Amino acid sequence: MDLEYKKSIAWIRENLFSSIPSSILTVATSFFVLGFFRGLFGFAMASDKDWLSVLNNMQLYMVQAYPEEDFIRVWISVGLALVFAGMSIGLWKSTEESSLSDVFSKFLKVSLAFLFFTVVAPTFSSVTDNDGIIQTEESFPMETRLQLLIPSAIFVVVFFVLKNVKLNYKFNKSDLLCFYLAIPIVLLWIIKLPTIQLDSSNQRIIPDPLMPIADTTKIPWTIIFGLFLAFYFIGSRFKDSKNMKRTMSISWVLLPLFIFSWIFKKPEIDLPTILGQDIPIFIGIFLIGALTITFINNPIVEKYFSIYLGVLIAITGIALFISIPILLKSALLLLVLFTIVIPAVSSSAKGKRNLIIVWGVSLFTLSVLIRGGSSDTQIIVQQQSIFGGFSLTWLLAIFGTYVSFPLGVLLALGRNSKLPIVRLVCTGIIELTRSVPYITWLFFASVTMAVFLPEGVNFELVVRVLMVTAFFSGAYFAENIRGGLQSIPKGQYEAADAIGMSPFQKTSLIVMPQALRAIIPTLVSSAITAFKDSSLVTIIGLIDFLTIGKVIIGTQSIPVNFVGHDRENLLFIAFFYWIFTFTLSRRSMKVEKRLGLGER
Amino acid sequence: MSIIKTNDVKKWFGDFQALKGISMEVQEGEVLVICGPSGSGKSTFIRCINRLEQHQEGEIIVDGIELTNDLKNIEAIRSEVGMVFQSFNLFPHLTVMQNITLAPIWVRKKSRSESEEKAMELLTRVGIPEQASKFPGQLSGGQQQRVAIARALAMEPKIMLFDEPTSALDPEMIKEVLDAMKELALSGMTMIVVTHEMGFAKEVADRVMLFDEGLMVEENTPTEFFDNPQNDRTKLFLSQIL
Amino acid sequence: MKSALKYLLFFRNVVFLKWLSQIVFLAGFISIVLRYLGNASTNFASTNIAFSWDFLGETPGVSIAEGMYTLPVSGLQMLQVGMLNMLRITVTGIFAATILGTLLGIARLSKNYIVEKSATGILEIVRNVPLLVQILFFQALILTLPRLEVSEIGTYTFHASAKGLAFPWPNREPNAVLFMVYFVLVLYIANQIFKWRVRTLEKEGRETYPTLWAVVSFIVLVVIGWYGGFRVVGIIGLIAGFLSTGLESVPGIFYQILFSVITVFIGFRVTKRFIDSKKSEEAQGIYSDDDYFKIIFNVVIVVLLVFLFLTSFGASVSKFLVGDELTYKADWGLPQLFHGIENKLYWFPMHDVEIEKENVEMKKAEIINWVVEPGSKVEVGDKIADAYIIRKPNEEKIEYEIVAKYAGTIETLYLEEGKSLKVGEEFYEIQVTEGDPFTLSRPRIEQTGTTKFKRYSDDYGKKLSVGYFATWVGVVLYTAIFISEVVRAGIMAVAKGQSEAGLSLGFRRSALLRLIVIPQAIRVMLPPMGNQYLNLAKNTSLGIAVAFPEIVAVGQTLYNQEGQTLPVFIVWMIFYSTVSLTISSIINFYNRKLKIVER
Repeated sequence: MDLEYKKSIAWIRENLFSSIPSSILTVATSFFVLGFFRGLFGFAMASDKDWLSVLNNMQLYMVQAYPEEDFIRVWISVGLALVFAGMSIGLWKSTEESSLSDVFSKFLKVSLAFLFFTVVAPTFSSVTDNDGIIQTEESFPMETRLQLLIPSAIFVVVFFVLKNVKLNYKFNKSDLLCFYLAIPIVLLWIIKLPTIQLDSSNQRIIPDPLMPIADTTKIPWTIIFGLFLAFYFIGSRFKDSKNMKRTMSISWVLLPLFIFSWIFKKPEIDLPTILGQDIPIFIGIFLIGALTITFINNPIVEKYFSIYLGVLIAITGIALFISIPILLKSALLLLVLFTIVIPAVSSSAKGKRNLIIVWGVSLFTLSVLIRGGSSDTQIIVQQQSIFGGFSLTWLLAIFGTYVSFPLGVLLALGRNSKLPIVRLVCTGIIELTRSVPYITWLFFASVTMAVFLPEGVNFELVVRVLMVTAFFSGAYFAENIRGGLQSIPKGQYEAADAIGMSPFQKTSLIVMPQALRAIIPTLVSSAITAFKDSSLVTIIGLIDFLTIGKVIIGTQSIPVNFVGHDRENLLFIAFFYWIFTFTLSRRSMKVEKRLGLGER
Repeated sequence: MSIIKTNDVKKWFGDFQALKGISMEVQEGEVLVICGPSGSGKSTFIRCINRLEQHQEGEIIVDGIELTNDLKNIEAIRSEVGMVFQSFNLFPHLTVMQNITLAPIWVRKKSRSESEEKAMELLTRVGIPEQASKFPGQLSGGQQQRVAIARALAMEPKIMLFDEPTSALDPEMIKEVLDAMKELALSGMTMIVVTHEMGFAKEVADRVMLFDEGLMVEENTPTEFFDNPQNDRTKLFLSQIL
Repeated sequence: MKSALKYLLFFRNVVFLKWLSQIVFLAGFISIVLRYLGNASTNFASTNIAFSWDFLGETPGVSIAEGMYTLPVSGLQMLQVGMLNMLRITVTGIFAATILGTLLGIARLSKNYIVEKSATGILEIVRNVPLLVQILFFQALILTLPRLEVSEIGTYTFHASAKGLAFPWPNREPNAVLFMVYFVLVLYIANQIFKWRVRTLEKEGRETYPTLWAVVSFIVLVVIGWYGGFRVVGIIGLIAGFLSTGLESVPGIFYQILFSVITVFIGFRVTKRFIDSKKSEEAQGIYSDDDYFKIIFNVVIVVLLVFLFLTSFGASVSKFLVGDELTYKADWGLPQLFHGIENKLYWFPMHDVEIEKENVEMKKAEIINWVVEPGSKVEVGDKIADAYIIRKPNEEKIEYEIVAKYAGTIETLYLEEGKSLKVGEEFYEIQVTEGDPFTLSRPRIEQTGTTKFKRYSDDYGKKLSVGYFATWVGVVLYTAIFISEVVRAGIMAVAKGQSEAGLSLGFRRSALLRLIVIPQAIRVMLPPMGNQYLNLAKNTSLGIAVAFPEIVAVGQTLYNQEGQTLPVFIVWMIFYSTVSLTISSIINFYNRKLKIVER
């Protein structure tokens, strides 16, 4: 104990007061940090802030005007994502373990920090009243402080004791994560929150009574958490199966598409179209692919295969520009991609059978997604898209990334090409796109783009914004990918040339896999930037997460008056974005480190 | 019948003339060693033979096909000429097995099982069958270079080019690579080897050439070349290197 | 025979295929572009709004909250205000962000636990919240300050309110531009003196006090300048005057032909050099097929450019050089530019004097009779004219005297006797012969009109509007965070091996940092730093969310007014490209310079 005490004194001396300037810095910074915290706390606790304007509008924040009778769809979307997450955590289960005393020391730190901030929190805060005069009021009275101080002090003592009792239990880190996630679910059932209640004359009852959280919130979350746990255990059962991991990775890519095209959207399905159009297209294209797979080793087929491929590519190229069902277009595209790889992967009869199954499944998935995506939605929200609030923010971030990524790859390859004209054009596109800020492109989408579209063609604003976003972040992706391309040594190209690969094979088999692996961390941070940048759509009047807090809540007056309460909403929005991006970037950094990505 | 024939091959890098007219012939099954100081154009020359560099004047005929801008000819020649590089140039994102089977599958359009069988055979031949499922980064330099040899052989080339295959290796690893090359030479493969390993030249080569400043200054059998050099430049070179 | 066969098989020739594929690619690209342009022209034809640049010359009839001209007379001038506002934030922001970012970066490398953790904390907060949310937050923060009150009308040293911030500032007088140019000149001279002393030190091996010399000469020259020496710079104005007159007399077609000739000349030089390089002794005049294609391509580009210069594109470019009605209105175009320089930088600069507000209710002034005439000399406070103050509501007139604000010679009288002008409009021109270049002034709170509307006066001190403040703080903080990462990475990249080498040579830690680590780290840091500057420039566009009138916001106001969205978009594109190019060329310049010093 004495030794430990001496150690910590030495640590403090070395790290905080090693010299006079360092001591001054320590004091000044502590003062600054405390001041910042006290200012923020006072700001948040002042009586003119109504945090119920945030709490009461949570539904609006998440899905805006999505009709309540279809909320089950929202829950399914969230649930699917969490179930997938549970499965993935199980599949890629960490092998690290932490001991019970580590856990308690973590808890101890949290409760110590809580105790510290409760002590230093300001009692008074200043409020500007209606006449513009600043007044000081007591916003954090002593009894509240005591109510918080006593339990936290008890926690500190308990965890301190527990930490120092050497308990030798060890837990798997992934198991521990599930345990941590259970805490908020349990809290959902225990805590009571102030809730807005109206009396008979539609006036707000003040003070707001404390009520348990509504069943419509806590029951779905509990079910989802149960499923999460179940799939976590299923996942950890299969953690050695490579096939499962591969399926999971593909499912993650497909999940948002599936959510946006089928679950969130509630597509209007027209049975005759499916019978008369979709199924014939599916069968036709499937048969072509299956036949190619079956007869690929036949000498006659082999001889004319390149001609067949050429014709197929030409047909697809033309098909993209004529008006045929979008399903046919995308199915043809998939067929071309598949036909290119067929000669490489099919060999034995068993291999061919597997390949036909893969082909069938992917074509089916494509058909299902396209059908859902291209159908109209049955959910009608007046005057605007069904995507609003946080669902719009996600839509922009995810689809921006989806569409812009392939575009970015193409542009980067073009800019890195040996052909001068191609290089010039691609460089021009990239640089022109990047030269102006995102907001001008958003204005382009909202007011100028219509000029360039053929007469009669008219897209919704959301779609136009998506198109522009894809282009804009495509140009940024292209620059990142180019960095990856440049990191590949010349020898790799030469080796590929020397074994006789065509330029296409060289790019897809040698260059791209290495380049992408090298830049995955940069790509993840670009995707995070795209998520943050999606907030700009508020300027052109789309109703995203930020718009709701900044504009909509500030104009609510019936039945509860929230006019002018945009500051607490801004704080909440900042906090919400922060939680998301911070967790995302931290998690992805850890995963990258574990998989050794970003290094060549 | 000569399998490689070059006639007055010239090559410029901007204003710098790297090759100043090289004429030579290589017979089928012959092992030719090219040596010379750095910057003498020897690497450039063999890189011209499979079109990693483009010669600007003169003609190169490989197995009866002239190397021109004709796409078909370039493809044909590349699939007949295997190349091993100084810095191995293995594909780091693929396993050893995938490195070797890549070209047979995608370029020669062979089935996977057939290519893998062949690859195992080649790996056994160069002495590292147990490394098939590892990644290049996990191998030593000598092992990597042997994988590179196997990768080139997987295309069943008629000619093998070696561009200083041992100069990036630690001394103790040079032998294992040279052994693999010797074995290859004894099997009757046509080989052009750019190297400073004079022991290898004495033992295996049918002919030795010396390049200097873009010209071939001496061409002789190994015994004559080392024991009785004709050219002053050769004498100087040998005195420096031996 | 054989070679003939070689060319018969041209469709398998790699070079031919390479160029064919490129030409096909280009054709495809151009056809797509043309298709969308075609759509645009049909759409323009079917609506009433035709694509035109006319709005640049028309008076937009809207006011701008802050900037050089608050009531722009033409669309071009309006855009110019936006551009200047944007540049104002960008330039000051770059300096502030660099300083703050460097401090934060060093703080993150500090051995002091609290300093390091706090810096990391700030980084994690700022980096993970969208910039727009931060800017809105800063706006909300300043809006919580109290409003201006009637009781507060008066002069202050520092004042903050929901209207923004105000503090003392050296206000520019007519001679200011002249003095600023002189100041830059003095900086250059002092630098040269420093270098000269250093050279002497190195040559003669004795202490020559270079810093002392430079500082003393700098101070002496500035003092001399302040008391009138700055007028040496007036030579620039003289030359600019000649240039302006010269340029006005040149017809537009001259420029079109000049550009064409220059293009042909450059094209010729490039092609000739290419051919010459093939003709050298070594290359012996041998051309590959690739080379022929390159030459043809060069020629095609030159022909295209010449065609562009000789048609309407060239004509509109030359308009800016010669000047027409449009450019005159906005003071753009080369002759006007030089004329402006002449006015500002002549020994005794010309200055247009505006009608000033005498009391709160004054809207206009009417001249009864001029006491002076062109050519007459005046001192500060001399009577210039008798005039009426006109109050808006009932055109009530009160007589008053207009006195001279500056000492000098009256040049032109714009306003005839018996005519009236609005407050803030120019009514006579004076050649200023005396007066300090700058006067320190303190902010003043004033009341406009008879309403209760209070504000900081534009003419006294410096005020930062809410929009400017929020955008500036947001953008600077956000960029500083990213710069701190760059700085940290740069120092760490160098520090590892170099520190050990330096320490083994016996350097002290501070000397090590100053002499070895920082110079090398700057080289590593410069390119990513440049990227951050570009981001900063683009991020200023978020000012639109807090009503700061930078170029995007102004552009939006303009097209809401005139309906010309496409031209405004093109202006944005050109402007931002120019700014980006300028920033990156400055960075590249320093990058190259450092590299040469290194090797």
